[in-house]
Parts: sequence; C-alpha cells; structure tokens
Amino acid sequence: MASGFAINNKSGFAIETEGLTRVFRNRWANTELRAVDNVSLQVPEGCTFGLLGANGAGKTTFVKMLLSSVHPTSGTARIFGRHAQDASSRRSVGYLPENHRFPTYMTGWGMLDFYGALSGMDSASRKRKIPEMLTTVGLDERAWHTRLGKYSKGMLQRVGLGQAMLHAPRLLVLDEPSDGVDPVGRKQIRDVLQALEQQGVTIFLNSHLLAEVELFCHDVAIIQKGKLSLSGSVKDLTSSGGYRVTACEVPEALISELATRSKAHSVEHGLLELMFSTREQANSAVDSLRANQCEIESLNAIRSTLEEVFIRTVSEKPEGVTDK
Amino acid sequence: MNATLALIRDTFREAFARRIFWGFFGCCTALLLFLIFILRVDVVQGALATISIFGNSLPSTNVENLVQQTQSVIAMVLYFAGMALSVFASAGLVSSVFEPGRIELLLSKPVSRTHLLLGRYAGNVLVVAANILYLVVGSWVIFGIKTGVWGLGFLISSLCTIFVFSVLLAVIVLVGVIWDSAAVAIMVTFAIMILTPILAQKNTLERLLSSEWSRDVVRVLYYTLPKTSDISIIIRHLILNQPVESWMPVWSTGLFGIAVLGLGLWRFNKRSF
Repeated sequence: MASGFAINNKSGFAIETEGLTRVFRNRWANTELRAVDNVSLQVPEGCTFGLLGANGAGKTTFVKMLLSSVHPTSGTARIFGRHAQDASSRRSVGYLPENHRFPTYMTGWGMLDFYGALSGMDSASRKRKIPEMLTTVGLDERAWHTRLGKYSKGMLQRVGLGQAMLHAPRLLVLDEPSDGVDPVGRKQIRDVLQALEQQGVTIFLNSHLLAEVELFCHDVAIIQKGKLSLSGSVKDLTSSGGYRVTACEVPEALISELATRSKAHSVEHGLLELMFSTREQANSAVDSLRANQCEIESLNAIRSTLEEVFIRTVSEKPEGVTDK
Repeated sequence: MNATLALIRDTFREAFARRIFWGFFGCCTALLLFLIFILRVDVVQGALATISIFGNSLPSTNVENLVQQTQSVIAMVLYFAGMALSVFASAGLVSSVFEPGRIELLLSKPVSRTHLLLGRYAGNVLVVAANILYLVVGSWVIFGIKTGVWGLGFLISSLCTIFVFSVLLAVIVLVGVIWDSAAVAIMVTFAIMILTPILAQKNTLERLLSSEWSRDVVRVLYYTLPKTSDISIIIRHLILNQPVESWMPVWSTGLFGIAVLGLGLWRFNKRSF
C-alpha cells in the first residue's frame, strides 16, 4: 500500500510529540484535569506501535491531539514532520475512532466514498478502490449497499477500518480496531494489518486487548494518569522477568554460594534451579558451575507477558502525578 | 473541490434520510397542485377572456395585478412559514455534525475546519434553496402559462428568501458550535425572527419609550439584528413592481450574517472535540 501523498519527512518519525499536554479546566467548579501531561513520544516510520493505559489514562485525548480534534494546552505534535494542526499533515493518516458514530443513512459503499473524497481521492480512484477495500476487510458483498443502521458492531468495525485504509495512508491510527469483532474477524483484521506493516505502513494501535498488542506490535508505550510511564520494544519489556539456570551434579558448597547470588533457588531430584535478575549474574553463575565441572541443563530468559508488565506499571504511581 | 462536493452531497443525503427534503418537496408540490386546481383561465381566440379563482370570475384587465398579489401572498407564506420550517429542519442538520464519534473522524481528514463547516453550511442552504426555487419557479411557470404574466419580481423575491435563510442559518451554526444543541439553536433563531418585526416598528417604539438609553437599545438592536420584516416589504415591492426605498435592510442583514458566520467559524476552529 504505497501512499498516494508523498510527504518529505526528514525526521524519520511518523509521530513525534514534545511535551504534549492537555488540561481540561472547569471554571465553575474551579478544578482542572491534566488528561495528558508532558508526553514526549517518537514513533519511527514503518513501526507497529501500541499505546496502552487504563480507562481514563489519557490515551484517547493523546490520539485526538495527534489528529487535531483536541487542541493541546502546550507542547507540539508532528506527523511525518508536519505540525499536527496543519490539515495537510493528515493526508497520509487513516483513523478509526473508538466510539465511532458513522452516519446511519450511509451505505457501506457510500461511507467509503464520502470519507475517501474528504481524504483527497478523486472519483475514479474511489470507484476502483472501494470494492477492493470492502472485500479486503471481509464485508459481504450483499452488505455493500445496505444502510449502516442495519450493520452489526463487527460489520461497522470492518467498514470503519476500510475507510481508514482506503486512501492508502502511511500512518494508520486505530482505536480498539477489533472491538466487537468475532475471533475469526480479529484474525482477518490482524492479517490485513500485518500485510500493511510489511508494506511499510506505520500502525499506531490503541487497544485494551494486551494479548493482541503483544502479538502484533513491536513497540509499546504505557500511559498512566496522563503521563508516559513506560515505553520500549515489546521484546525488551517482556524479557525483563530475569534468567533461569538449571544444572546438575552441583556440589553442596557451590549451591550455598550460588544461592546467595541468586534471587531464588531450588534443588529437586539433584537438579539445581537458579533465578537471576540480570544476564550478567546468570553468566557469572554459569562460569562458576563450569569451573566446577557441573553440567548445565539449560539457560533461558524468563519472559513476562505484556499483561504482567502492564499491571506492574499501572500499579506503580508515576512520579509527579497529582490528583486534582 | 472533491471535498466540498462530498460535504454538500452528504448534507443532501442526510436531508433525504431525515425526510426533511421530501417533507419540503411534498408541501411545495401540494401548493403547486393547489394553484393549478384553483386557477382557471379561459382563453378566447388567443386573448384572456376571464380568470376565475374558486369559481369567482374577474375582469381580464385586473389579471396582472391579481397575479402579482397572489404571488406576493405565496412569497410571504414562503418567507415566514417556509422560513420557520426551514430553520426547524436545518438545526438538526447542523448539530448532527458535532456528535461525538462523528466529528472526530471528520476532523481527522485533511480538510480544514473552516472548509468542513462551510461545506455543511452550503449544503444546508442548497437543500432549502432547491425547494424554494422549486415552489417559486413552479408557481411562476403556472401563472405565466395560465395568464401570460411573466414578471421577474417573483423570481427575484425567492433569492431574497434564500438570502435571509442563509443569514438565519449562520445563527444556527454559531449556536450549534457553541452548545451542540438543535433545540437551543431553534430557540435563539426563532427569538430573532420574533424580535425583528417588533424592532421594525422602531419609530413607534422610540415614541413610546420614555428614557433615552432604552431608545438607544432599540436602535442598536434594530441596526445590528437581521431585518427580516423590512426585507419582507422589499420582497413585496419587487413582486408588485414598486420601487424599493432603501436596500439598507438587505446589506446590513448580510453584514450580520457574515459576522455571525465568521464567529461560528472562529469558535469551531478553536474548539476541542
């Protein structure tokens, strides 16, 4: 899916925010809520990126600032190097909002035609691409000319995804894309997104389905009470569970020594299992075991699930967060 | 251009779906059929012999005057009742755009906010204009064919009606952008429509008011708000081929419309959704 809109982007980032902040003030009650607080984030071009956070963490406000439906209180957001407030920055963006409310008087075809025209596609391209896209998102041909008011949640999600992809964007921002879609449909959507990823499209996913994000995204960020709590590659974040070394025929004296260096150990049926926090500690233990002619059974990194990382992160109160 | 056409087409589609367009169209068609039914003209050897309305014959010398009077009645019905209906119908078409879940998607497209709102505004004006022109041109043709009176004043009056509607629509847009409420937009616009005929009696009001400041308030309101009542008199003069004394009500109403629409666009551009 090559974009029809070439934008010269020297930064190499699809999304770049710097100190992005949005404060909602209620003048009557004299209160304020920092929905997004000083978030600086960079999403490289071609990356699949997941934004995670509990309900009300500020994810949607962050996405809305990227797409200019919410104005930031301070800070900047750039899309492919262009200021997010500049309408032309959104030429290469496809967006599927979370609680979308597509006009029910439109048909699936009509909706793609309307949003395609707003995205800058000419009539001939729309006519050519709409049937392709409706087929790609798995919408039954009989439903193409049916009003959206008669669509199921899953069908609306599919047609919504279709409108986001129709103009061949270079960045797809998807807010809960598989919400209401059955497992087979989810797999189809994942396959479509994977195909786009291979074509170099940047995918920014905002989802509560952590298993889905873990399966699909290379990089994630966790936002908590408006602040960026954690960001990095899924691989790095989930491999921080430590290292496990198992060995046999280990002398008692060495077991005692290694036990003091490990964070946990056990001996069962003559097999010693040691747990270490860092790779260096694990390597040092292997050196000691080999120096004593012990047999190494296995050495592996213990992976956490993304869900564990997420729960761990959101359980911690981020620095500087104040409740208003 | 693609985006503008899409926005206009979308407004028509929504008007069709909400039965607004067809409601108007049905009323206009009924009125045209009524005209065809009540207006009977007897032609003898190519000249008008008699004209009858509801069976009452009139001398042919009064035909032109009668047609103009009838056209001015139609124009007034259209101007006041049609305008009220149009405002009632259009408020929903404007506020529906600001619905959560719909506006975010529209704003994510590479179209400026000004363009989006003006596209919707233009679509809405065209929905109402299509029906006004259908009724006016339709009745103009019926009168022309049956009586041979083809005065252009009636046609020009329709443009005045569309113009005043577009000014009132600017009020609907501004209120819609600020409060997202079709009901409030209708109330504010109706309040203006009710207030302006009262303000049109400026001279009488000034005589009745005792304090200078209250007279100032009346003057400021009169010159600031759209002059719907004064424009209705201009429309009548146009149809009856009478000279128009002053075009001030038209241009000052136009200025009001531009200012209010500008304010609506400014607020829309500043607002977060």
